Amino acid sequence: MTKLVRIASIYPTLLGTYGDGGNVAALRHIAALHGIGVDVHEISPGMDVPRDADIYVLGGGEDTAQVAAANALRASGALKDAVSNGAAVLAICAGYQILGHTFPDASSEASPGLGLIDIYTDRLPTRAVGELLAESTQVAGELTGYENHGGATHLGSGVQPLARVSVGVGNGDGTEGAVSGRVIGTYLHGPALVRNPALAEKLLGWAIDEQLTPIEEAEVLALREERIRLARSSSAKTPR
Amino acid sequence: MAVTTSPRTRLALAAGRLAAGASRVAGRGEGQIIGGTVALKIAPDALRELAGGRVQALVSATNGKTSTTRLLATAMSQNGPVASASTGANMPEGILWALTKAPADAPAVLEVDEAWLPTVLSATSAKVVLLGNLSRDQLDRMSEVAMLARKWRRMLEENPDVIVVANADDPIVAFAAEKAKNVVWVAAGQSWTTDSSVCPECGTLLSRDEKTWNCSGCGRTRPWASWALEWNGTSGEAVSATGQRFDLANLQLPGKFNASNATMALAVCDELGLDLARAVELMTTVTAVSGRYAIVPAGELTVRLLLAKNPAGWTELLDIMPPAPAPVIVMINANNADGRDPSWLWDVPFERLRGRTVIASGNRRRDLAVRLLHAGVDAFVSEDPFAPGAELPAAARELDVIDCAATYTAFQAIRTANLGGEVDG
Repeated sequence: MTKLVRIASIYPTLLGTYGDGGNVAALRHIAALHGIGVDVHEISPGMDVPRDADIYVLGGGEDTAQVAAANALRASGALKDAVSNGAAVLAICAGYQILGHTFPDASSEASPGLGLIDIYTDRLPTRAVGELLAESTQVAGELTGYENHGGATHLGSGVQPLARVSVGVGNGDGTEGAVSGRVIGTYLHGPALVRNPALAEKLLGWAIDEQLTPIEEAEVLALREERIRLARSSSAKTPR
Repeated sequence: MAVTTSPRTRLALAAGRLAAGASRVAGRGEGQIIGGTVALKIAPDALRELAGGRVQALVSATNGKTSTTRLLATAMSQNGPVASASTGANMPEGILWALTKAPADAPAVLEVDEAWLPTVLSATSAKVVLLGNLSRDQLDRMSEVAMLARKWRRMLEENPDVIVVANADDPIVAFAAEKAKNVVWVAAGQSWTTDSSVCPECGTLLSRDEKTWNCSGCGRTRPWASWALEWNGTSGEAVSATGQRFDLANLQLPGKFNASNATMALAVCDELGLDLARAVELMTTVTAVSGRYAIVPAGELTVRLLLAKNPAGWTELLDIMPPAPAPVIVMINANNADGRDPSWLWDVPFERLRGRTVIASGNRRRDLAVRLLHAGVDAFVSEDPFAPGAELPAAARELDVIDCAATYTAFQAIRTANLGGEVDG
């Protein structure tokens, strides 16, 4: 495998509040395990968003920063072009919300997103905070993470949920995240790719047009086993 | 007890004392929080009444508020006893308790939780409020940074008489304090800029150079500072508005961040009319703050206790650890008081610990082990490195003192085991 995978970390200063920078670290680490070279570009606001990256990563962020990121990305148009050319996207929480048509701003007004996938987000009745466990039938098996958001995300007809919630809230209707083509959005922090290497392998596989055979690391397995077990046992005690 | 306290407040405090005693006997820590909670339930105005115009200063920040409060209280002791919480209790309950433990007329300096600051300021009518820094901290339960700044801003509009001593180098703090009537700006430095990358008002990315910051969107710039910390890489000097220089080289609290805390405390001393040279001299007598930097036995080891609660604090601690290959202990808990989500581990540059073994412990040691794996740092995972006969890397046993950096609840467990509830190192 000689292809160099180009990864664009989009506005980590705006969208990276919850340790989501770890997703880029995880892509780098897992690519290395598979012998795949990566070239990571950190894109700050004001810089040109590249049109030719293979994987775009967007993290979570605060309300003001989220609106700023959405405006800058909409003005650039590069992400939309890249996706129509087959690029993969991983977007977390606030980043996930801005992929859709609208999301709520600091005063709960609908703010325009990128319209990259057919979803929109409004408010959950109460903020979702806690371990999130979800079963994905189509992408990467059992997903574990931590959610911390007030958004209820509604999927349009062309969009599949990423997973079905076993513990936690996710999109708010029993589903979690969204998949449309090679675009993945999710509420999973943790960071998502650290706790779910299969998701990273899916993204890297798309980038090199080859399905990767999972590589397991003992430290990661121990962490996943612990988080999944505790999420299950806490939900058995306090149904939500 | 103050002669002016109402019967209701006296009753409340007596009930609180009973509850606190019971909590100590039951081994639930220091008892002061539970005592204060009981007292406040019985007499909600107890804080206002006990403050009684003697609160000189409130200190708030995401990081450094306990150390800064201690430095300031120690400097103020040049004029006699000072009322101050000795243990970092910074919510109304703990503050109430601190006020009852000192002579009723002693001037008070209080550390205050960021979110509680407006409530405590309006209850105590403090003369000065010190605003140090704001950054991400336990996002699962704390307000987001910009929200806190807006809260502080409203608070200063509603309390126009308070003197504000604020860190001009933190754009979020500057936003919070810019409309205040009396502000003393301090160029106290900012080591963690990630949470103030954009203007809190208009969302534009801030431009920064070594000394200043500004916003091209709305024209906001770093306020002109009358006090400044000048840091030469190993020690610092505080420079006053009139150009007077105060050498901070003899501070025993380590690192640039403590020199920064001392500079801000000194600016408060100036507003309170204290002898500043004497203030610095007294600050250099502070060796440990509620167990932070204390050297204590733990199991078969002797550790220097370090506390960090968030990425900014951790980043500062990594800089004061001895160089590789000295092993260190890192304990990560995610109990309620630590924040339940340790995703922030990925915001801390643990790569700086390469070349040594890190003993990874705490109830989220598995998250830490994965973080260290990605950082290329050798991890030795231990459920309890202080248990009798615990397996440890040989290099850890060879050290006279090993650094042990811990999140809040892990830190408190070691501290109370060694230093007791109220004793201070």
